[in-house]
Amino acid sequence: MYKPTTQLTLALGLTLALAACKKDEKVDPITPPAPVNEEELITDVKIFFTDPSGNAYEWHAEIDDAGVQFNGDTLPANTLLQTEILVLDASTTPADTVSNEILAEGDEHQFFFQANGVDLTFAYSDSDVNGRPIGLLSQWQTGNAGAGEVVLILRHEPLKDAAGVSDGDITNAGGSTDIEVVFPAVLQ
Amino acid sequence: MPSRVLVLLFTTCCSLSQGIVLHAQESICTHVLLGRVIDDHDRTPLEFAEVLLVGTDRGVVADIDGRFRLDGLCPGQITIRIAHLGCDPVERIVNVPRAQELVIRMEHHAHELREMEVVSKRPDEQVGHSHETVEADEMVRNAGAGIANMIGKVAGVTMLNSGPTLSKPVIHGLSGNRIVIMNQGVRQEDQQWGGEHAPNLDPFTTDRITVVKGAASVQYGSDALGGVIVTEPVPLPREGPIAGSFHGVGIANGRGGAAGLQLQGGLGNWRGFGWRVQASGRYLGDSEAARYVLSNTGDREAGASASFGYRDHRFSSTVYYSRFERQLGILRAAHIGSLSDLRAAIATGEPWFVADRTYAIDVPRQTMTHHLMKAEVGYAITERSRIVATYGYQLDDRKEFDLRRGGRSGTPALDLDLRVHSGDLVLKHWIGPQVHGRVGVSGSLQQNINVPGTGVRPLIPNYRRGNIGAFVIEHVPLSERLELEAGLRLEASKLEVAKFDANDVLINPVHEFTNGAFHAGMAWTLKDSTLVRFGVGSAYRPPHVSELYSEGLHHGAAAIEQGDPDLESERSLSATAEVDGSWADGRLTARLGLRSDRIDDMIYLRPDGTRLTIRGAFPVFQYVATNAVLHSADAQLGTCFGRRLKVDLRFNTVRAHDRGTGGWLFLMPSDRAAIEFTYTTIAKGKWEPWEFMVRGTQVLEQRRVSSDIDLDAPPPGYTLCDLSIGSGRTMGKDRLRFGVQVNNLFNAAYRDYLDRFRYFADARGTDVRLWFGYAFGSR
Repeated sequence: MYKPTTQLTLALGLTLALAACKKDEKVDPITPPAPVNEEELITDVKIFFTDPSGNAYEWHAEIDDAGVQFNGDTLPANTLLQTEILVLDASTTPADTVSNEILAEGDEHQFFFQANGVDLTFAYSDSDVNGRPIGLLSQWQTGNAGAGEVVLILRHEPLKDAAGVSDGDITNAGGSTDIEVVFPAVLQ
Repeated sequence: MPSRVLVLLFTTCCSLSQGIVLHAQESICTHVLLGRVIDDHDRTPLEFAEVLLVGTDRGVVADIDGRFRLDGLCPGQITIRIAHLGCDPVERIVNVPRAQELVIRMEHHAHELREMEVVSKRPDEQVGHSHETVEADEMVRNAGAGIANMIGKVAGVTMLNSGPTLSKPVIHGLSGNRIVIMNQGVRQEDQQWGGEHAPNLDPFTTDRITVVKGAASVQYGSDALGGVIVTEPVPLPREGPIAGSFHGVGIANGRGGAAGLQLQGGLGNWRGFGWRVQASGRYLGDSEAARYVLSNTGDREAGASASFGYRDHRFSSTVYYSRFERQLGILRAAHIGSLSDLRAAIATGEPWFVADRTYAIDVPRQTMTHHLMKAEVGYAITERSRIVATYGYQLDDRKEFDLRRGGRSGTPALDLDLRVHSGDLVLKHWIGPQVHGRVGVSGSLQQNINVPGTGVRPLIPNYRRGNIGAFVIEHVPLSERLELEAGLRLEASKLEVAKFDANDVLINPVHEFTNGAFHAGMAWTLKDSTLVRFGVGSAYRPPHVSELYSEGLHHGAAAIEQGDPDLESERSLSATAEVDGSWADGRLTARLGLRSDRIDDMIYLRPDGTRLTIRGAFPVFQYVATNAVLHSADAQLGTCFGRRLKVDLRFNTVRAHDRGTGGWLFLMPSDRAAIEFTYTTIAKGKWEPWEFMVRGTQVLEQRRVSSDIDLDAPPPGYTLCDLSIGSGRTMGKDRLRFGVQVNNLFNAAYRDYLDRFRYFADARGTDVRLWFGYAFGSR
């Protein structure tokens, strides 16, 4: 007759044997992950303005772990401004110009602008391969002096043919937001 | 009682397809067949074997010397089936008249006998656990459904979905890392930490799924807090010609289908050897909701497995390999960039992206490949003690592709390679004539690597996890009617992590966890028709690496998740009670399951403000631990009206409290009830009965939510109606089954609280599925 004690001894022996095996096994150190360059990072959004007399103005939003910092010139009131957007990934050296990627995939991207509390209207002045706007280049018509904010949104794969979208209305745009920055705006 | 057991055994273990090879002529039916049943190993007679004349209800029982006599036979060919406790049933074709005595040799497994007796009364591993099994018949009907849908009908089981393509099973409100899936006797190891990670396994590889509804760490190791899903391996044949089955289903919603083929057999004269091969596939295009196409929800799967083994009365050995590959699309409209996108999606109430139905799968999408290799050796040390060693190797490769800029959409944003070695050694033993149980050790070593080249900071770090445990479970039958079970497990695990910290410095933190669990259960047969189970058990779950070290933006979920390296193991204490009874000759059946869980240090994501990024504001979620209490109940009531109509009622409820905050736990299933009418016709000749089923399911709105945690109010309750018609036909030794199923008959537009994509789109609309199953060859 088989005795339970024999079984328990056997089981215990096997446990120890298995445990011992584990310990003796010289395991390699765990593979460290490859350092990753976050490829789709956006660290800086700059807007360059030029008025009809050739004066230059600049807005700058800088993003890091702590949050977003703004530096912006006051814009002249009642002026038509030629506007260009530059998007950078400054985490690499030299800085990666993300706006070039946006331009190359112009049909999949569109910038939208919304003015809150300031008198500003926007018009696109560039177009993608399908003749629809991208928004890297635009014209901003400033109104009377005042202070408020401008929301800049970059949508990836928006429905550019949806109602109003090509005129700058974001309501039916869909897509996913790649950039959403709220610039303080002062007109004088 | 013994005869009951015998009958039960016969029906459970030896349920064969009803082969009919009786070609009796209308002539003088007075012939007699004499036979004798003996043990193949030692030629001793097998007393009281059952001998059945296949195709009739005639049968005799052999005497104490194994002799039997069938008389009144017509000339021609007859088929007889011989069954004996502890034997594989044998079928023989005999020409009548036959002068000599027919000698039938049967493989008698004395050593397995007791085990089978136990199994026949109740699965021996689940004495104190409430559990339910989905049988082969039900699985054929649901062919082409994922594993979570397959068990979705089990009381207490719901699903956590991410659109139509991703479903995770939820047992009494617990899911993901809190559920263990045992695939072919090996613990399934794949990525289960994210809501959008569905289990990578092919339901076609099994013909029986058992759901254990209770904390069961003693039997299954860590993580079994919510329950266990066991896809049971089908035993290999030991001899015989090629047999097999073919299943197919056409699925209207998604305009696709699925099919599976399985073949098995013995190795000619090499008795004891058996093999099985199986292959399956699934192909679906975009699903449709009631009012629109759910764009980019295509799904394709391919799986194959092979096993080979040898078995005799002392020694057994099996090797098994399976490969499962899946590619699926994720609802395009659910891919969002920021909190404001999510708010916009909620505000419009319609998916922003709806295109024409297509089979193409675009980003966001996932591709997964899962390999499982298993080797198992068993040896009967003595008549009643058996030692079984199992080794498993799994390789899980997961790639997730997101919508990316600059032509990077073809590069996976997440690329994980998980390899797991696991082994266990179990001694099944008897102590004295009554007490029996299992004692064993198990260990595993897993390594997870982020495959370089994604260009995205990994969401979870590289890690290696070693695990070793020892357990003992003993069963003590106090009487014919009362059986006790008690068990204990100790487990130690070590987690080594390699990652870059915030300052890009490589760090190698190490975590060690030691845990213990116990279980005590009782199965009490009050009357022959009423069974009561009680169980008290504990379970544990060391924190997953994602809970310790997640860091960063969860794309698609529009959330920043932060881990906490100081989290400790979750520990749970669970009590279950189940009453299962039938009255009035089975015309009234009822089952009530009650369960309470107290989970200490339960880890969950708590909202922790918002963070402004370049994409706008994102909610920040922090992994924190709290103490929680869950109470759940599931009930079933079945009544027969006359002989043909059966009405089933089912009900599920879960109440989950956060004892830390006093609020409700997030993402718990709401109360639901179902009523099912089944009408069965009379079998006619070779036609099996037709079965007509109508089911109504009512899911209530989840009102027990904490307001601060969710971005949108839970969707309203909904009612679904399903329909199913099916029958079958025997064709010689073969059997054909077929039917049609209609889910969401009235094309209801609804959203389920447990669907993570409920913010974006409705759930699937009407689905019509035409299915068939064809089993050929013996068995």
